[in-house]
Formats: sequence, structure tokens, C-alpha cells
Amino acid sequence: MSIIELKDVSFVYGKKTPYEIKALDNVSLNIEENLITGLIGHTGSGKSTLVQMLNGILKPNSGTVIVDGEDIWKKPKKIASVRYKVGMVMQYPEYQLFADTVKDDIAYGPKNMKLSAEEIEKRVFRSAEFCGIDKETLEKSPFDLSGGQKRRVALAGVMAMNPKILVLDEPAAGLDPKGRREILGGIKKYRDESGTTVIIVSHSMEDMAMYCDRVVVMSDSKILSNGTCREVFSQSQLLKENGLDVPEITNVVLKLREKGINIPNDIYTVEDAVKAISSLSLERRAKNGI
Amino acid sequence: MAFDVSLGQYYEGKSLIHKLDPRTKLIYVIMFMVSIFVAKSIYAFALLSVVVLLTVIFSRVPIRTILRGLKPLIVIVAFTAILNIFWTKAESDPLWQWKFITIYKEGLINAGLLALRIILLLVETTLFLSYTTTPIELTDGIESLLAPLKLIKLPVHEFAMLMTIALRFIPTLTDETSKIMNAQKARGADFSSGGLIKRAKALIPIIIPLFVSSFRRADELATAMECRCYRGGEGRTRMKKLKFKVKDVFGWLFSIALLAGVILMNIFLAEYGYMI
Repeated sequence: MSIIELKDVSFVYGKKTPYEIKALDNVSLNIEENLITGLIGHTGSGKSTLVQMLNGILKPNSGTVIVDGEDIWKKPKKIASVRYKVGMVMQYPEYQLFADTVKDDIAYGPKNMKLSAEEIEKRVFRSAEFCGIDKETLEKSPFDLSGGQKRRVALAGVMAMNPKILVLDEPAAGLDPKGRREILGGIKKYRDESGTTVIIVSHSMEDMAMYCDRVVVMSDSKILSNGTCREVFSQSQLLKENGLDVPEITNVVLKLREKGINIPNDIYTVEDAVKAISSLSLERRAKNGI
Repeated sequence: MAFDVSLGQYYEGKSLIHKLDPRTKLIYVIMFMVSIFVAKSIYAFALLSVVVLLTVIFSRVPIRTILRGLKPLIVIVAFTAILNIFWTKAESDPLWQWKFITIYKEGLINAGLLALRIILLLVETTLFLSYTTTPIELTDGIESLLAPLKLIKLPVHEFAMLMTIALRFIPTLTDETSKIMNAQKARGADFSSGGLIKRAKALIPIIIPLFVSSFRRADELATAMECRCYRGGEGRTRMKKLKFKVKDVFGWLFSIALLAGVILMNIFLAEYGYMI
């Protein structure tokens, strides 16, 4: 079932000025409930704009945004309630931290929702745990933390609002591989336990292949491709024509196919590649009678 | 909250005014300012209005862009003008009277001319100093014009560098502010309801991150400048040297002629003057 529906959404930045830029061009898209959807595209392809449509930070010039069965701009004054439903973690969220302690910062969102003190406390601890923030860190000032830790605090701050849909704009940008795994792994674990619908914007094809159920590819303010990882990454030709890449391992598989080895072209994780190659070599041994 | 930064934005172009030396433009703007405050005769105002109109057309900056830049200031202009209507006292018969409020014909004319004065001033200064001049050119021009002050040991270069940096970071900080606001809005922040104290408190989650990032940026910028061996103005050369051209001479002559024209009109057409 789709929880988010975009219908013919268009958006232009700086309308009627010399700096006018078209960011979304008649985009229609459905996002499925309980899945992790990846959104890929070049810088300037409209991903971040699209994502900011989902919780009403930007208002489309035309078209409708339907979240959870309701047109979010039907009552513009109630737009704040949409923001509790759709939690949004912006790019480089570590720069939005402000409170005296990590705990207070995570509690900022739930406090705005006017929850009871106990409920806030419970949510702070729960989301801190998902993001790998220990009890000691909760009492520290957010400005004393490392970049990766700050990122996790910001993420926990949004998770603590218990949104139905969690949107993350480049959650792993600028982190080392270990940091990426921790953040993205934490998000996946959170989804598995809470059933939240997650949308991740990213540049990294590997991350997408590893953590997402579905992938949406954007190019030039339009949606280029939309499907499961397998469907999207098997269209390597289309992706490459639009200046995008496929995961490294898919590239290896494609090279093998070029050499005349009969391996399926819809492989996008290392595990699958290992399986396919070992079954191929078993076949060959059987054929040769070894 | 919306940020209208069109006042003070560079408008890319290749017009004659774009190509003038920034120093010429600064001199012209100063002359224009003097002219407009000296002007008394209605003919002088007509002359100045025509000049503004012609320069706007010459610059090829769309009139709509300029009007949009004026929009936020219209309230101030209107307020000043209306105050003037009530404050002017004249000898002639009042046009309208109600208790202590009296309106004279002179008051209305004064108010109109005052509004015209402010609008002409705003349009001409923004046209010359921001729509057609990049901030870098402008500060280079100021530095060069103030160069004689170096003789009395004033840190002219440092002052110009300070201005360049400040101007350079206005769009960056505007951008950053709206990003942080969006992020806090996404966490349910509400900036537009409640009393004064509640609203002021709601700004804390924006101001603190903004300060933190400004300090971080300042620090990074200082390091980057030091890495490139910046050590002040002494012996520093430039990629783009300012050079006066023939058109600049015409610019100076025009500036002088404008001021002279306004003064002459004041003297010989004084009977049409209304400003007190």
C-alpha cells in the first residue's frame, strides 16, 4: 500500500527572476508503506526538493502531495501536523543542534509535540539506543561530540518524534565507512522494529543496494526509473546514459558478461555475486566431470 | 519568515553602467546624493527624475526587479511622507482643518517631494552600487578611493577586506538560516504563534546553531587565508587592476554637470521651490 502519493508535482525556484531554476517537472510517485525507499540522482536532479515536498517545507507550484491518504495542502494552517507524521533529517543535520545537553536536544521535537515528561524520557532513551548513543553521552554538550556522534544525535532527535515516515537527506554524507554502516544499519534496525516507512536520499549506489528495498532514480527534475533494487540496477545502460553508475559489484558482473560468461545481469550485492559465481564454477566442474 | 534579498543583489549585465569603473560610480553616487539634498526647485527634481529614469534604462536592469527591491521600503517612505503632511506649517490658508490637525498645500507638496527624494535616492544608489557593481568591485573601489588615508596610518586595506568578507557571507548566512529554520520546523518548531516572549524563545534553536556555525566559518576562513600566506595589504598585487577609461571621464563630467545644473536651477528658478 502506498503511504505517500505525489501527483504531477512541479516546483520552480526563484520564479520570475533571472535565477529561475526548474527543480521538479510533473513528478508522480508512490512510496510504499514499511519499505526503505532509496532516492538517487545527481546534484541538482531535484532529490532534495522532492524530499522537502513531503513534509510541507516547500509547497509545490502545481500538483498534489498526499500523505497517509490526505492532501497535505488542503488546510495550509495545519501543515505543522504533517511535520509530526513525516520526520525529516536534513543534510548535515549536526549543524542544527543547540541545546545544553544531548538529552535536551533529542527531547526538543517530542516537547514541541507536547507529550508528557515520562513519554519524552522514554522516547529519548529508545531513540538514543537505536542510534548508538550511550547514557554517558546523553549528559554531554552536543558541541563536545565528534562529527559522526553529532549526526547520530540529530537523527535520534527526529526518531524520538515517532514519525510514521522517516525521511533522511544524505544521512551518511561525509562519514567514514564505519560511520556509514553504523548510521544506515541503525536506520534499518529501527525500521525493522518500528515498521516506519523510510526514505533515504543518497549518492552512493552501494549503500542503496545494501539497505534499500526499492530505488527511485531521478535525473533532470524527472523520475528516470522506479522499482526494486534488482529491477533498477539491471538497467545499467539507462543509468550510465544519464551519468549515473551502478554498484561496483554490478560493474564486475557486467565485465564478466562481456567476456562471455553466462552470469545473470541483475546482481547488485557481493553476496549474490559470490553465490552466482560459485554456482557457475560448480556447473563447469560438473560439465568437465571433475 | 521570508528573506527578500533583491535589494543589494548584483544583476549580471554588460551595459555601459556595468562597465564603468567602480570609483567613478562611487563619485557619481556621492554627487547625486548631494544634488538631491541641495535641490529645491521643482525643475531640479524633474531633471533628477529624468536622470534616474535614463540610467535605469541604460543599465538594462528590468524595472520590475528594481521595483521589487523597493517594495519592503515603501512603508517607511509612506510613513515619512505622511508625517510631513501634518508637520508642515505655512502662512497660507489651510486646505483642511480638524481640531489640532491642519493641512496646508505646502505640506502636501513637501510630502510628495520628500517621497520622491527618498525613492530617487534609493533607486539610483542601489542601481549603481549593487545592481551593476559586484561587491568585490565595490570594495576595491572604496579601498582605492580611501587610499590617501593610509598616509595618516588608517588601516584602509583591512577595512576593505572586512567589508568584502562581510558582504561575501551575507548570502551564505541567509542560506544557512533558512536551512536551520527548516530543520527546526521539521522538528515541530513554531515561529509564528504565541506572545512576544514565546516567539523570542522559539528563536533560540536558530540563533545558537547560527552563531556556532559563524564562528566555525570565521575560523576556517582565517586558516584558509593564512594557508595562502595572507598578511595584510602591504605589497599585495591584484589580478584585476582598476583602470580609468575614457567613459569614466565622461562619468565625472556628467556628475559635475548634474550638481552644477541643480545648483543653477535653485538660483535661477527659485520661485518654484517649495522645500523649506
